[in-house]
Amino acid sequence: MAKILYIEDIPDNATLAQRLLTGRGHEFLWAKNAEDGLAMALENQPDLILLDLGLPDVDGQTLSIWLRGEAALEKTPIIVLTAWPEEVARQTVEAYGLNGYLCKPFKLDTLMEIIEANLGA
Amino acid sequence: MTIEIIPADYFTIQELVDLYNQTRVDYLVPMPMNAERLAEYIHIFDIDLNLSSVARAGDGQVLGLSMLGVRPPWAWITRLGVLPAIRRSGAGSALMDSMLANAQTLGMQETHLEVIRNNVPAHRLFLNKGFKEVNEYLVLRRAPHSVPEAVKCSTTWLDREAALGALEFYPRHLTWITALDSMRNAPDLSGLRVEFANGSSGWLVFRCHKFSLSHLVFHTEQCSPVKIGIQLLVNLYIRYPRHDTYAENIQVEDRHLPALLGMGFFDNFRRIEMRRKM
Repeated sequence: MAKILYIEDIPDNATLAQRLLTGRGHEFLWAKNAEDGLAMALENQPDLILLDLGLPDVDGQTLSIWLRGEAALEKTPIIVLTAWPEEVARQTVEAYGLNGYLCKPFKLDTLMEIIEANLGA
Repeated sequence: MTIEIIPADYFTIQELVDLYNQTRVDYLVPMPMNAERLAEYIHIFDIDLNLSSVARAGDGQVLGLSMLGVRPPWAWITRLGVLPAIRRSGAGSALMDSMLANAQTLGMQETHLEVIRNNVPAHRLFLNKGFKEVNEYLVLRRAPHSVPEAVKCSTTWLDREAALGALEFYPRHLTWITALDSMRNAPDLSGLRVEFANGSSGWLVFRCHKFSLSHLVFHTEQCSPVKIGIQLLVNLYIRYPRHDTYAENIQVEDRHLPALLGMGFFDNFRRIEMRRKM
């Protein structure tokens, strides 16, 4: 089972993801802002990061550069979960070297599919 | 529903942040803030919290907020938001009326605002309140990546004072976000000037944060804006190769735009500037 870090400022979204992921046997970690997200990623070395782009201190795009700038996290799959329109999400993932995206609202099955595909990669 | 309008300075910055973030949970463009960012926003954009408003229901529940920037003879309405469950109850309209009344009382000649394109309910509200569309702007983003080699030219880095000096003579309209007064309030202003042997030249003013660059304003004095724009950006990214960039309110007709797109910027969203005579 995998260790998954979710960086998301809205507690309800985090709670929902926690229920889903722990229910499938994964270890779930939650950071509510970019600074905590970077610290937790470095400390816990997650197998996958779920990243919300709209964060209160530094946005998800800039955070992804910090994350990718750390040798230990260079290859960690990062999946963007965002309310941005699909085309912006696609361009963001491509430009920032991330691994995938889901536009909110999304189905939980779809989230599990993208997580499992990236954990298996 | 009874709606009471209260000056925003009745609330702490953290209370305003909490309310603002709740109004934006389902927003078209996610833009949450923390207390530090809101305090900086208030300072840089000359927001007057005594003239800004919070809407509250009769039972004490806060419903939404709006902020007013003041730079006589202009006012600027910003951060307008209403809790998702309360929308279409008249709270947004009441907040707008309060902003306009405050601008009127101060004797402002014109009130400005920006609305995200495709935010249909907000756009309709602003039209109903007498605002007219003036310009359309792009908000662009660029992730760090490699840049071509710089062409031989003279490059001068501008400190804060020199950057402000350049902006003072900027010949076109700037929105509130990148206006001279906003840049003057910003602590992290910098700039760059390039000049070629044939006399063609231009400059770029920007804000430099620890991990990102923002608030880019380009000006070409002589020569092709695309050629000058590319050289400005190449030199910028030679100095800041790992910085993320967020370029707000680049006018759709800005002649430097092909340079930005050619250097890896992509379109995040668009804003419409609207104004209303008072």
